[in-house]
Amino acid sequence: MKTISVNGNSLKWEQNMTINVIIGKMNYTFKMLVVKVNGELIKKTEYDMIIIPAAADVRIIHLISGG
Amino acid sequence: MKDIIIDGKKISVKEETTILDAAKELNIEIPALCHRPTVEAYGACRLCVVDVNDGRKTRMVTSCNYPIRKSIEVNTQSERVRKTRGMLLEMMLSRWPNVDVIKQFAAEYKVTKPRFIHPLVDYSSNACILCGLCVNACSEIMWEDIIGFAGRGESRRVVMPFEKHYDACVGCSTCANICPTGAIKMIDDPNQPADSKRIMKYGSKIADEMVLMDEEQCDMRGVGTAHLAQIMNDYDLFPTCNYKFGSHKDAGGLHSDVFKQKYITQGLPDGCWLGCSMSCAKTVEGYELKTGPYKGDKVLIDGPEYETIAGCGANMGIFNPEFVLEANFYCDTYGIDTISFGTGMAFAMECYENGILNKERTGGMEFNFGNEEVGLEALHQMGRGEGFGVIVGQGIRRMKQIFAEKFDLTKKQIKFMQDIGMEAKGMEYSEYVTKESLAMQGGYGLALKGAQHDEAWLIFMDMVNNQIPTFEDKAEALHYFPMFRTWFGLMGLCKLPWNDVEPADNAETDEPAKVPGHVEGYVNFFSAMTGKEIDKHELILQSERVYNFQRVFNYRLGFGTREHDSIPYRSAGPVTIEEYESRAERYDKQLVEKWDYDIKGKTSEEKRDYLRKMREADYQKLCDAVYKRRGWNENGIPTIQKMKELKMDLPEVLAVLKKNN
Repeated sequence: MKTISVNGNSLKWEQNMTINVIIGKMNYTFKMLVVKVNGELIKKTEYDMIIIPAAADVRIIHLISGG
Repeated sequence: MKDIIIDGKKISVKEETTILDAAKELNIEIPALCHRPTVEAYGACRLCVVDVNDGRKTRMVTSCNYPIRKSIEVNTQSERVRKTRGMLLEMMLSRWPNVDVIKQFAAEYKVTKPRFIHPLVDYSSNACILCGLCVNACSEIMWEDIIGFAGRGESRRVVMPFEKHYDACVGCSTCANICPTGAIKMIDDPNQPADSKRIMKYGSKIADEMVLMDEEQCDMRGVGTAHLAQIMNDYDLFPTCNYKFGSHKDAGGLHSDVFKQKYITQGLPDGCWLGCSMSCAKTVEGYELKTGPYKGDKVLIDGPEYETIAGCGANMGIFNPEFVLEANFYCDTYGIDTISFGTGMAFAMECYENGILNKERTGGMEFNFGNEEVGLEALHQMGRGEGFGVIVGQGIRRMKQIFAEKFDLTKKQIKFMQDIGMEAKGMEYSEYVTKESLAMQGGYGLALKGAQHDEAWLIFMDMVNNQIPTFEDKAEALHYFPMFRTWFGLMGLCKLPWNDVEPADNAETDEPAKVPGHVEGYVNFFSAMTGKEIDKHELILQSERVYNFQRVFNYRLGFGTREHDSIPYRSAGPVTIEEYESRAERYDKQLVEKWDYDIKGKTSEEKRDYLRKMREADYQKLCDAVYKRRGWNENGIPTIQKMKELKMDLPEVLAVLKKNN
């Protein structure tokens, strides 16, 4: 089974997987995110466009908010 | 998406995008005097006119407020467009001949001297050109309507109501800052900053971010901190039934949308800080109380904030928004902290469900989770100073003592109370589940004043992002963030504009979690206010001096050592079998992968006990690392060397440290 790493956790890779697909699978509902795929910064406008390759290192960094 | 052509260049844009914005994406510049992205397009100056051909006819429109709804062809430089702009600029120049911004635009259209003199000519270089930016900014950025237009035609002017000074204006300077000519000036700044322009620059940056990005980020203007309720539930961090669990199937009842759609009535600046563009506090009007001394009265309620929703809701096993509102109102009215009330009640409820309390001990009240009637009755008892409510009102630390002294409890029951009593240093925990974030356990346990998250909120960095995996990484975060956040307290500044809205380019910075753009803003604010130049390192140093002094102060009073940095085990892991089994997959995985523990054939009790042993040891290792990073000895006491480095080696401080070191 091919996988990707999301914040250090293993996730099953699928064809045509985008950042928004990963965000949905991880149930990441927080909005202030910084996304990097193999070290490359991905802009918000590209979350539906960039296709994630198998074995990719995906970092979906949640920033801090709240009192 | 719509395909359009501007000056021969093709572009595909979202429907409703304005021509001006579409042109910007193609790097085509269209002149505009009265347009800013932060206020709604007004079309006052009309300099942004362009020709639009929709396939049927060509007409001239203002590009700033023309929404693209079909495929069109735009010409921004046609002869009649340039001629129209030239004529407009000539008319403006004839009325305001010395205003720089008009002179510059006019020169681009070869207009240097108008052919006529306007009857209302104003030779001032700071003349008001009636662009309307100040009026719209007051209304749309600040949610005020303190200035507006009066008069028509040649008598049109910007005024406060009845052309008198209006006390509601607090001098936030938004209008002065957006004015393109300098017609509005700050003439009286009671704070007398060393450099008010520099403050305005950084203040307006936050205001712009709030207008342009808040709705997509935290929606602080729309719902305030309440937006966190659903997020915390989604990440299993929403304290439910005294922090036993982090989510609940009924948590949707406490979703911020519920409060926004059904209860919050005022979309106005809240008065927490006049002139604040974040305006995160919310108000519920005309709420009819169901209990207590004001039963039947319609009242105004300030809130609820996230902590109140979680503490006076889910943590007590209650998911009814009206209970939260009623508790919010009466806590405010009686002067009771909603966090201490919620967390204290949750503790008492769990004690009741485990036989430590019973009806006889609570004065007849059934203290089960979810019992709304009892929740409010206990609150009213606290307010009246009578009954069992008075005991709950003294807080968890005292409740533990009182229950142990007054009731015939077993050793096991007393230990159970220590494990589930969510307090540290005598202060009740605020409303986050910390079990899966060791760094956040430290954030609570190592905070000087007690279990509050406002020194460091590290759950996402630690648990979700896995950004700080080692003890040293966590210790670094538990050095930087408490020092940075202490600084807000030192300055009397709100910290929400630091991280509840973030700059558009924050993701591209080297340390997005620190929000470097806003750290720079605070550094500049300090320098501009005081006239003393500092940098971000000096900011941390200012806090470190005070923070270490406070730690020594705690120590002098018999606290401020490792023993007092301890946390209840509920904060670090599952106390009960019910808790362990509710997240068994997670805990089993950790036991195997992190601690190489053979779970085969083990009971939940054995696994829970081993997990506890490991997690409690980790917490002590975390304390070791944090003490070292902060320059404290192994008992958590600042060293004399550290106080010397900070230039805080005052005789009184040294006397305390020498006596005991």
